[in-house]
Amino acid sequence: MSRISRRRFFEGTGAGIVATAVPVKGQQPARPAVPRTTIQITVNGARQKLEVEDRWTLVEALRDHLGLTGAKIGCDRGECGACTVLLDGKPVYSCSQLAVWADGRSVETVEGLARDGRLDPLQEAFIEHDGPQCGFCTSGQLMSAKALLNRNSHPTADEVRAAMTGNICRCSNYNRYVESVLAAAAAPATTASAAARRKA
Amino acid sequence: MTTLNSVGHPSPRIDALKRVSGAATYTGDIRLPGMLYARVLRSPHAHARIRRIDVSKARALDGVKAILTRENCDVVWGSGDTRNKRYLFNNPVRFAGDAVAAVAAVDRHTAEEATRLIEVEYETLPFVLDPEDALKDGAPEIQPGGNLSPNNQGQRQPEVLRRGSIEEGLRAADHVFEDHYTSSHINNAQLEPRVSIAQWEGGRLTVYASTQGISNCHTEIARDLELDAKNVRVVCQFMGGGFGNKNQCHDFDLMAAMLAKQTGAPVKLEFTRKEDYVAVHGRWPTKQYYKVGVRNNGTLTAIQLRGYSGMGPYRKGTGGIAGIEIYQCPHVERTVHPVLTNMAVSANLRGPDYPQGVFGLESLMDDIAYSLKIDPVEFRLKNMTRKFNDQTPYTSIGLEDCIRRGAEAFEWKKRWHAIPGVGDRPAKRGAGMAMGSFFSSLGRSSAVIDVDSRGMYHVHVGVTDIGTAAKTTMALIAAETLGVPLEKIDVIWGDTDRCPYSVGESGSRTTTHTGYAVVEAAKELKRQIAEKGMPRDNDVLTATANTNPTVPGMARYSFVAHFAEVEVDTDLGHVRLVKYVAAHDSGRVVNPLTATSQVKGGATMGIGMALHEGLLYDRASGVPLNAGYYGARVMTHRDAPEIEVLWVETEDAYGPYGAKTLGEPTIIPSVAAVANAIYNAIGKRVKDLPITRDKILGVLA
Repeated sequence: MSRISRRRFFEGTGAGIVATAVPVKGQQPARPAVPRTTIQITVNGARQKLEVEDRWTLVEALRDHLGLTGAKIGCDRGECGACTVLLDGKPVYSCSQLAVWADGRSVETVEGLARDGRLDPLQEAFIEHDGPQCGFCTSGQLMSAKALLNRNSHPTADEVRAAMTGNICRCSNYNRYVESVLAAAAAPATTASAAARRKA
Repeated sequence: MTTLNSVGHPSPRIDALKRVSGAATYTGDIRLPGMLYARVLRSPHAHARIRRIDVSKARALDGVKAILTRENCDVVWGSGDTRNKRYLFNNPVRFAGDAVAAVAAVDRHTAEEATRLIEVEYETLPFVLDPEDALKDGAPEIQPGGNLSPNNQGQRQPEVLRRGSIEEGLRAADHVFEDHYTSSHINNAQLEPRVSIAQWEGGRLTVYASTQGISNCHTEIARDLELDAKNVRVVCQFMGGGFGNKNQCHDFDLMAAMLAKQTGAPVKLEFTRKEDYVAVHGRWPTKQYYKVGVRNNGTLTAIQLRGYSGMGPYRKGTGGIAGIEIYQCPHVERTVHPVLTNMAVSANLRGPDYPQGVFGLESLMDDIAYSLKIDPVEFRLKNMTRKFNDQTPYTSIGLEDCIRRGAEAFEWKKRWHAIPGVGDRPAKRGAGMAMGSFFSSLGRSSAVIDVDSRGMYHVHVGVTDIGTAAKTTMALIAAETLGVPLEKIDVIWGDTDRCPYSVGESGSRTTTHTGYAVVEAAKELKRQIAEKGMPRDNDVLTATANTNPTVPGMARYSFVAHFAEVEVDTDLGHVRLVKYVAAHDSGRVVNPLTATSQVKGGATMGIGMALHEGLLYDRASGVPLNAGYYGARVMTHRDAPEIEVLWVETEDAYGPYGAKTLGEPTIIPSVAAVANAIYNAIGKRVKDLPITRDKILGVLA
């Protein structure tokens, strides 16, 4: 994975406005065959076989080719966290991972949070405490929070902020997100009545 | 204030489940069969004439379906410049980021690759970034006729507000204070990057837009593409924020439509985050020169402002510098110059004219209060507005309560130091406050409500809900008027084929404009039900309302006062927010849960504007240096303090259930409150936004 640094990776794929105006002299316009690789990934518990272009990011594969659009592309350069998913249980920016790197690994997205028709306590708390405003960063916030609670079931407010600081919310509803995560951590479990009210 | 059944009770968003489960469909989530992807090539130069564009290599690339340049596309984007003609692709290009070409291809990688194969020969031209420099003799002319953008009457004159005689006011003063302030270009930076999907079915165009106002977007697409309005449909189901940069139709909507037309396939045009930062728009940077006259007892006699706003090369916003209206003062003169420059375009961002103007004015007022040894809170209470422009009574005004109750909740007396910068510890604390007001307009909107035999009420409104909880607000208002539980309300939104006109989520107008129409439609429906009974079987009853209420002879405003305590590390220049109280008069609060979130968000954005944000330019090349979230340093979880929200609910006889406006007032005094707190902590004034560490260390040196 370390063969390509993130910086080089972005230099290769990003469309910097300066770079775009200066085409390389004598470059052959004919389209070279795009290398493709077949990968096996487990997405939200289901094993998937997928042929990907080597240049696809994980978030592209999830959104455009597996139809899982819950993870959002906010910046496509590892700055905002809207694309956060869990890769083998760890939160990653899926815009900064190539899909081929996920071969043989397990990915969890926001679509996998609810289980058996029951919302995750975090989702319940996000609703009750008004976590999402525009909602575009929400999936990423949820996945970072999920990773946190998986390793620390009773975090302090500061620990929540630290764990989620890579998830930008331009509506700046940070107070509500922290409040939501603390409430979810405090909830013994999703109450049956709440779950019944909100069938996922 | 009477208690109501639905309005005024904290209610989770009616669409919250979709927002937390990944099921909410934002524009970028839509994939249509056979859809192509489009990317835009942009100018690397601040100002240049395009000598030649060669697209042959790009066109030869496998998978490329269409390329638009000025040579084959002369569509004028009407809302892109309200004074001059702005084409989708301009020659000369007038800022680093001006669109040069757009490519549609089978996938986004191919489209991106194709933009790199387009060869452009530029002849660079002189450029200017600073609005005052742009008005000097010999400055590069950015548009024909000069760089001072015409005023509302079409004259090449600055915008002027005059009351009394400024000379008389300054003569009547015991002291005259003068100072100047600057503010930066700040990007809206909403999380959802710009995207548009266009699809033609015969002669009819559907645009899946990412817009704050489907109605405006619809009208303007039809206008710019010369289509009959009935042949255009605009859909926006979920929208990832905007804060003022998507009120209208945008160039990317038009480019997607033109590419879709050429290729006969649906086209999704996506902006990168960097493009979003440089090529849409941000808050206009300003330079503000104030002169204020005051008597020994602290009474204001004169306020004069000469201001310059950098609009970028296309005039898309007012360029206003507001704030003076929050003070009572007999002699006022405000002269603001909206100036064309070669920076990124400037236009609306949350409270467009306000936070930067309030920053300048409230910084100076703070200095005046200290000079006269008057507590800044008392100074505001003494001089705050009582009538709009000292003339027109307000429909309701809770400003005094916002200041008094806010100060009390904040424990102002305990946190504020009469001598700023007192103490010799490296970590110094200080408190500051500022106030603001915002036009709470009423105006034209429409709503349609029908009821079926199952007792479900379908509320059709042309809102998109950009994060303001507008859908929930409309549902609460409908439930209240109809006297039914919230669960009986179904809101239909975000589609011009299914919804009537709405002003759009700009100017904080949805609750007051469209909410009012919902009230009237619901009343009409109740009248029909009383007359005919509830519908049976397959029948429905339908009520419509087209409303345009006015306020006779009065001004309708929301009011706000914010209080901030900071701790400044005088060794490092770092600022930490310790306590923050936001007191708001927005009339009756329709949904305290979501309204409180909006205040928390707006205040936090303002803290970012005060401390971090600003688009920096390389003066030698005219190219922006820090586009993007890291570079612009927007607020993060780690930076955001707890914002305590306090409601001053005034009784207002107008608007739906007395609701006034809210979304934009939330940011208005926050920048100034933080700036004033920093002054109180360190005893030195930073007059240029953002108040970064280097500037703090600079004034302390």
